[in-house]
Amino acid sequence: MIDGLHFIERHAYGNSVIHRMDARVKLLVALTAIIAIVALPYSTMVVSLGAVLFTLFLALWTFSGLSPLVYIKRVVFILPFGFFLIFFQIFFTNRYYDTFHPLASLPFGITIYAESVEFALILLVKFLVSISFIILLSSTTRMQDMLDASRRLGLPAEFTLTLGMMIRYLFVFAEMIGRIRSALASRCFDPFDRRLPYRYRLQQLGYAIGMIFVRSYEQGERTYTSMLCRGYGSDVHAPVPKTPLSVGEISFLAGAMIFIVGSTVVFYL
Amino acid sequence: MHIPDAFIPIAQAIVYWIIALIFIFLALRWARQSMGEEKVPLVAVLAAGIFAVQALNIPIPWGTSGHMVGAALAAVVLGSPYAGIFVLTLVLLVQGIVFADGGITTMGANIVNMVVVGSFFGFYAYTAIQRIIAHTFAATFVAGWLSLFVSALIAAVQLGLAGTFPLEFGLLSMGLYHSVIGLIEGGITAAALYLIATARPEIVERAEAVSG
Repeated sequence: MIDGLHFIERHAYGNSVIHRMDARVKLLVALTAIIAIVALPYSTMVVSLGAVLFTLFLALWTFSGLSPLVYIKRVVFILPFGFFLIFFQIFFTNRYYDTFHPLASLPFGITIYAESVEFALILLVKFLVSISFIILLSSTTRMQDMLDASRRLGLPAEFTLTLGMMIRYLFVFAEMIGRIRSALASRCFDPFDRRLPYRYRLQQLGYAIGMIFVRSYEQGERTYTSMLCRGYGSDVHAPVPKTPLSVGEISFLAGAMIFIVGSTVVFYL
Repeated sequence: MHIPDAFIPIAQAIVYWIIALIFIFLALRWARQSMGEEKVPLVAVLAAGIFAVQALNIPIPWGTSGHMVGAALAAVVLGSPYAGIFVLTLVLLVQGIVFADGGITTMGANIVNMVVVGSFFGFYAYTAIQRIIAHTFAATFVAGWLSLFVSALIAAVQLGLAGTFPLEFGLLSMGLYHSVIGLIEGGITAAALYLIATARPEIVERAEAVSG
């Protein structure tokens, strides 16, 4: 996952109207869309709301100027576990339907039900809309901007400071992982080489993981000491200047919120 | 094992978020009391390290690959389940918000099953076995295995309660799969602990027992 860090952050440094928008606005819009689609009960109205929200997402993605390939790459990376859960739905009954009509019968007594396929589709729509808005948020917002936005929205400073430091060092460790892989490869070590005993491969990977842990601990100690040298203390926090939202941003936020909440209420009723 | 958005109804997701927030609060209190508030940056960098650890692909016997979770390792090395909760919660937050892996509404449920359960089972399995047979690597191995296995079972129960995945099939499939993957987690946790205890014995609680 850490390998995708530069890919995500590179796109977040774009310069479109969506990229330039205050991170608080994007964060609130994304959260509202996700909560709206998740909160709607499991029924076919999810598909209708999903279509509306996905259209909103597509419009925002188009304005961001990012390639559709960026979105597809990120979705493919996220899919496996969610897709596993969705795919197997078609073989099971669930509590959200009273009756089930068989669509097809397979060997070993396995039956595909029409209602289960519908339920899988509902889950897929909810899942896709949710991840799409998160992908939009993280592809158009720098991590530091997201942190500042969280702090301005009321997240405690202790938490944002810790999270901010973690994010900063993610990039350091992404480089370190690359170096460790090169070091292993230069010694002709391939963890997937079946000619090597499995136990030996696990042991070497365990040592590499232990080394990363030790290095991160040592890096943490160095960082802590250097922060102390610069006057860091438990009551010292970097100030986050107040930046009021522009009229355009407030209008967009209000419009998007009314659109998302309004659509949800309309479909629910 | 990250449960994505949509698989847990909003009412249940709120309950898991409340439980998760209670443990996050306890973990923050532990950090202030046990580490000294100023040492929190050290944990932040450690969280980045755990994130990196999860990037290493580990071969799984039937041909696929997986990665380590690290809840038991963090809890055992830092000497408290709350350390595991603190570190892994940061990891899950970044995974959920930046990488869209794990969901926002379901993050509470994921913190409960992977972070809270993983850290507590990992840490207390380690201390209990260490007390009974006094064999650090056996204890670490079981801690790593149990933390992953029980986390998977809890995730299956959460999905079963949500009605989005059958409980019996979930327990069977996720239980079986993670009982095997857990062996790898346990083995790597033990090997990693050995290296840490050898290279920096002062980091590990009861390090002399490990390296001895």
